[in-house]
Amino acid sequence: MNVPSTHQLLQTLQSASEHLSTNDRRDFLRRGMSYAAGAAAVGVSTMASTAALNSNLPPNEPQWGRQLGTGVVENPYGHPSPHESQVVRRTVPWLTAESVSSISMSPIQDLKGIITPNGLVFERYHSGVPNINPDEHRLMIHGLVDNPLIFTMEDLMRFPSVSEIRFIECPANGGMEWRGPQMEALQFTHGMLSCCEWTGVPLKVLLDAVGIQTKGKWVLAEGADGAHMSRSIPIEKVLDDTLVVYAQNGEMLRPEQGYPLRLINPGWEGNTSIKWLRRIEVGDQPWHHREETSKYTDLMADGRARRFTFAQECNSVITTPCPENPIVRKGFLEVEGLAWTGRGKIKGVDISFNGGVSWRPAQLKGLVLDKALTRFSFSTQWQGEAWLIQSRAYDDSGYVQPTLAQLREQRGVNSIYHKNSIHTWQVGPAGEVKNVQIT
Amino acid sequence: MFKLPKPLLAMALLAAFTAEVAYAENYQIGTPATAVQIAGWDIDIRPDGKGLPAGSGNAINGEEGYEIFCASCHGVFGEGEGRWPVLAGGEGTLEDDRPVKTVGSYWPYASTLFDYIRRAMPFNAPLSLNDQQVYDITAYVLYLNDLIEEDFELSQDNLAHVKMPNEDGFFEDNRPDVSNPRCMTDCADPSRLMMQTSLAGVTPIGHFVEGADAPAASHSDQHDLEASKEAERKAAITGEEMATSVNQDITLMSTQALAGEATYKTACGSCHGSGLAGAPKLGDAEAWSKRLEKGNDLLIIHALEGYAGSEGYMPAKGGRTDLTDEAVINAVLFIVESQQ
Repeated sequence: MNVPSTHQLLQTLQSASEHLSTNDRRDFLRRGMSYAAGAAAVGVSTMASTAALNSNLPPNEPQWGRQLGTGVVENPYGHPSPHESQVVRRTVPWLTAESVSSISMSPIQDLKGIITPNGLVFERYHSGVPNINPDEHRLMIHGLVDNPLIFTMEDLMRFPSVSEIRFIECPANGGMEWRGPQMEALQFTHGMLSCCEWTGVPLKVLLDAVGIQTKGKWVLAEGADGAHMSRSIPIEKVLDDTLVVYAQNGEMLRPEQGYPLRLINPGWEGNTSIKWLRRIEVGDQPWHHREETSKYTDLMADGRARRFTFAQECNSVITTPCPENPIVRKGFLEVEGLAWTGRGKIKGVDISFNGGVSWRPAQLKGLVLDKALTRFSFSTQWQGEAWLIQSRAYDDSGYVQPTLAQLREQRGVNSIYHKNSIHTWQVGPAGEVKNVQIT
Repeated sequence: MFKLPKPLLAMALLAAFTAEVAYAENYQIGTPATAVQIAGWDIDIRPDGKGLPAGSGNAINGEEGYEIFCASCHGVFGEGEGRWPVLAGGEGTLEDDRPVKTVGSYWPYASTLFDYIRRAMPFNAPLSLNDQQVYDITAYVLYLNDLIEEDFELSQDNLAHVKMPNEDGFFEDNRPDVSNPRCMTDCADPSRLMMQTSLAGVTPIGHFVEGADAPAASHSDQHDLEASKEAERKAAITGEEMATSVNQDITLMSTQALAGEATYKTACGSCHGSGLAGAPKLGDAEAWSKRLEKGNDLLIIHALEGYAGSEGYMPAKGGRTDLTDEAVINAVLFIVESQQ
């Protein structure tokens, strides 16, 4: 008899619950998770004493060691193991009217390190994903320039290339929770977030090629998709670190991420990193287009609205434990999470286990890069205590991640975007994790 | 295989060994963009009117176009259908608990309306309207918001002067707007902390859709859910028994219809699944019955060549001109046989 792993059980529960309504699903998963936790505990002890229950465990030779596996180029472009099929992008259909103008979230609860695999980078489309033939794609740069130019993809790839690891985040990440906690999983509270190594040409190099005129203070970037998505970007940013990229994580861009060409404005709200980039116009003032007036402006409590809120401010969240990764065993526990800031580098992260009454410094681990996801870690023991666990990041600009109460006091609850407040998970006595807010 | 004679080979190698390579940054990459090329792509409009094409239009002429291209999503009076954006009304609500952000109540510049309609609308056929239609429909939306009179001739010269009520309602980013000290101990009084657990019925607003129901697993499930609720509502009104199923047993379908299912899912479903642009929804017997009465040939002609009328708008092949005629015809047959 096979004893399924906790992981397999969760996977089964996940797929078995997909047809259920939210409430039913929540109950189903909660019951299922405690069953999974129990089964895993039973499994461990059973396996230790009566290994014969599982013919693939020591001292037996597992089945896969007694036969040949599949050969080379069985999958010319490989896929993740079928045992990882629960690691996928997910959406919340009631957020938007249609899937072609919608958003999906990265499964950040399942990801390791700081790089988001290409197939899991969150999606945001305003008119769906265009199918673009790169041979027929052009980038036009014109406006207040001396020599307007058109570049083919081949042209762009002849320029010296740069590769930078940068996060990209939708400013609406977390935006469903200004009034209270309502998402039941980390993927939905923070998953409009990804981080890739991007390869391309600094936009400054291309602007030098066309010869930008001194009156040029803003650029308009525009996509080739049906929305012809457009944003105005100040020249200071463009000359600082904006990239025109054609590759991500070692391969050409995915269609979902702008194939064959997109902009990357490091640390800025994701929608400014125009996908399927086809045109850049240099001008002397911003264009005030729909996606920088009607949308992506932040309405304050007094009825006035902040505009051109470009920077994604310092933010962090704990990924272990989280609702999808409950604590299943007493004893050693590495509390882990992600921190990021659009204003530079993460300098440190503190963790509270008591809802913000007291804080302990966590360790940063792995690469700590400018405007990139950064991992933090705190090794501890869990013996069934109730926790209100929080992370609080601070960056090298001196900014400390704020509380939700502070943001609400300044902005009210209708600003939708840029909710980067300290996040709280409630850990219960069985290790289950719930999304809550402390005020 | 071609071989160099030995002396020549030696000379070629010598040349390579003695090559001097200079560091160079003078790229000279790219082709000059001609005025005609720029004019074709330079579609943007600014608040000062820069970029507006020659021409003019008015709300009287815009009404028909609005009803064909816009009303099925945005409502006859700009009130919004289903979960699509509301365009008119909402004045004085920006400080409310549930603000209604529309062209009239929120947008700072009229130019944005012209720019957006031209670059992105109608949703299923962007950049298909001519400048005259864009002027007329822009005027009509401004008229719906009581910003201009019905007969006001909106033009290249005066659009920038249409004053929007909320123009002064915006200010530049002044963040960081909060400062949190990095306190380590005794940072809060535990007895005064309140914990809020998940709120049922808190629905997102603005960027998202208000009044939405519990999440379904996918947009297609969401549409099915909404379709069944609508059927329930209609049945409650008429007292009729609900249709038991909208899904035809696929074993009874023709080979062509079965072949059309894949095309339906990738190309047609985004409108015919949701009712976008007035598209009759798959499984909506009432909406389809009068269309089916007119015969498959007319449906196929409309699908191939497009349709614009009081009930909705469909571009040729639903905007998917990359599809073959055969694929479109099969998809039509899939839709037709799904109703039977």
